[in-house]
Amino acid sequence: MHKRSRQALALLVWLIPLLGFAHDVSSADQEILRNGDLWAYIQVGATHMLTGYDHLLFLAGVIFFLNSFMDILKFITVFTIGHCITLIGATYEGITADEHLVDAVIALSVVYKGFENLGGFEKIKVKSPNLLLMVGFFGLIHGFGLSTRLQSFDIGKEQFLAKILCFNLGVEVGQVLALIPIVFIITLSRKHKQFPAFYKAMNWYLVLAGIGLFAYQLYGYFVGH
Amino acid sequence: MRKLFYLLLVVLLCSHDLYIKMETYFLQPDQEATLSLYNGTFERSENIIARDRMLDASVIVKGKRMAIAPEQWKDQDSTITQFTFNTGESGTYVAGVSTKARNIELTAEKFNNYLEHDGVLDMLKQRQRDSVLDQDAVESYEKHVKTIYQVGDTRTDDWSAVLGYPIEFVPLANPYEKYSGEKLEVQLLLDGKPLANQLVYANFLKGAHAHTHHGHEHGHGHSGEAHSHSHSHSDDQHGHSHKTEKEESHTHTSGEQLRTNDQGRVTVNLPEDGIYYLRTIYMTKAADSDELTHRSKWATLTFEVSHKHGPGTHTHDHDHDHDIPTWVFVVGSILVIGLLFLFFRKKK
Repeated sequence: MHKRSRQALALLVWLIPLLGFAHDVSSADQEILRNGDLWAYIQVGATHMLTGYDHLLFLAGVIFFLNSFMDILKFITVFTIGHCITLIGATYEGITADEHLVDAVIALSVVYKGFENLGGFEKIKVKSPNLLLMVGFFGLIHGFGLSTRLQSFDIGKEQFLAKILCFNLGVEVGQVLALIPIVFIITLSRKHKQFPAFYKAMNWYLVLAGIGLFAYQLYGYFVGH
Repeated sequence: MRKLFYLLLVVLLCSHDLYIKMETYFLQPDQEATLSLYNGTFERSENIIARDRMLDASVIVKGKRMAIAPEQWKDQDSTITQFTFNTGESGTYVAGVSTKARNIELTAEKFNNYLEHDGVLDMLKQRQRDSVLDQDAVESYEKHVKTIYQVGDTRTDDWSAVLGYPIEFVPLANPYEKYSGEKLEVQLLLDGKPLANQLVYANFLKGAHAHTHHGHEHGHGHSGEAHSHSHSHSDDQHGHSHKTEKEESHTHTSGEQLRTNDQGRVTVNLPEDGIYYLRTIYMTKAADSDELTHRSKWATLTFEVSHKHGPGTHTHDHDHDHDIPTWVFVVGSILVIGLLFLFFRKKK
C-alpha cells in the first residue's frame, strides 16, 4: 500500500507541469479573431475544444461509463445543452470569473468522473448521484469555463451574439471531432480481454489528471500565472 | 448585468470626447470594416453625431482624399454613428472627422470643474491668476478627430497626412512601424502650425481585453492622475457628474499627461499592445467676442499598437501561451496510461 501510494504520488508530481498546458489556445487565437470574420470564431471554438484537455477528459470519463450508442448520444446531448446555456448566457450577459478558479472546478469534474467510474462511491458507501443530472450540471460548469475564455478575448460589440453563437458552434464541431476517436478507442477496447486493466488505468489517469489540473489552476490563481 | 452596468455608466459618466473607434485597427484587405464615432468616453458613446454637424469626414487612400458622404453614415442606435466600408488594398490609412463649433453656457462653478476634470489646467490657472473663478462662461467648442488604421501588411505613407483641421494630431512616424515597448512622437498642429506648451493626454486599452469591463482583465494605462469628476460636452448641453471611486477607472479622462515642446511635439510611450488614444483641448479666451467668453478646439487621435513580430505571428506574451506543445501532454498522458495499464494488468 505504501509503495502504491508512492508510485501514485510520483506520477502526480510528474503530471502536474504537463497538465497545465490544457487549452493550448492563446493570443494566437486573438489574432485569428482580430483578423477574421465569423468563421474565425468557429475555428477558435473548435480549436479550444480540441485542445481543451479538461473537457475531453471529462467526456472520455462519461463515455467510459456508457455501453450503448443511444446512451452516449443522450449524455452528450445533455452535456451539450448544459454548456450551451452557460456559454451563450454568461458571455452575452458579461458574467465572468477568474479563469483559474473556473478551470479548477472543471478539473474537479474530471476527478469526479474518474472516481465514480472506479466505483468510488460504492467503496465509501455513498449513493452515487444521478449521472445524467451530474453530466448536465458539469456541462453548465464547462460552458462557463468556455465563456470565461471567450470573454478573455477582445471580441468587440459588433455582431456580438453572432460571434458567441459561432464560437459555440465551433465548440460543438470540435467536440464531435474529438468524440469520434474517443468513442472508437473505447468501443474497440471493450472487446479486448485486457479491458478491465485498461478501464482502471484510464480512470485512475482521469483522477490523477484531474487532481493535477486542479493543483495547477490553484497554483495559477494564487501565484498569478 | 451588462445592461445594468451600462445604465450605471450612462447615469454616472458624461464625458463627451469624440473618438473614431474601430473594433480593431489591424484589418485584412477587402474586408468589411466599420468606423464608429464615439461621442462620450473611449469605451462608451452617449450621442450620435448629426450629419449637419460634420464639416468634414474623409479617408485618405493612397494620397487621395475621399470624402465620406453624409448618407454613408448610419446610426447604429441613439448613441453611435458608424461608417461601414470595404478596406480595399493593403496600406496604412488615415480617416478624420471635423465638427462645427457649438456654444454652451456654463456657470462659473461648472466651468471651473470642467476645466479641472477634463485637464484644461492652463485655463484654470489663468482664471485663478486673473481672479475670475466666479465668472460664468459661454464657450464655443469644436471637435476634430483622426484615426490611423492598418490594412494588411504593407505600410504606406498616408499616416502622415495632414487633414487641415483647425487642430489635429499628426504622428511623426508610422504608428504601425512602432511596437509595444517603443515610443511614438506626435506633433500637434493648430491651424497648420505646431502648437507649443499644450497639455496632451495619452491613454490606451490593452488590445486583448479592450472589450471587457471585468476586474483584472481591464488594461488601462492610467498614469495615476485619475479624476473623480467628469464633464460633458454633448450636443445640447454641458453636463457634470460626480463619480464614485469604483467608476473612476472607467472614465478615461486621464492618462499619461504630456506637454508639447517648442515644435509642438510630444513623445507618447507605447508600453503594451493595445489601442491608444490621444486627446487635447486647446482653449483661449474670446476677447474679441461679445457673445463668447472662451473658445475651445478638441482633438483626438486613435491607433493600435502590436508587438514586435506583427499581428501575423503568434509569439504573443499572453496568459494562455505556453512553451511546451500539445504533443508533450499527449505523449506524457499515453505514457502514464501505459504505466497504469501495466500496473493493473500485473495486479490482476
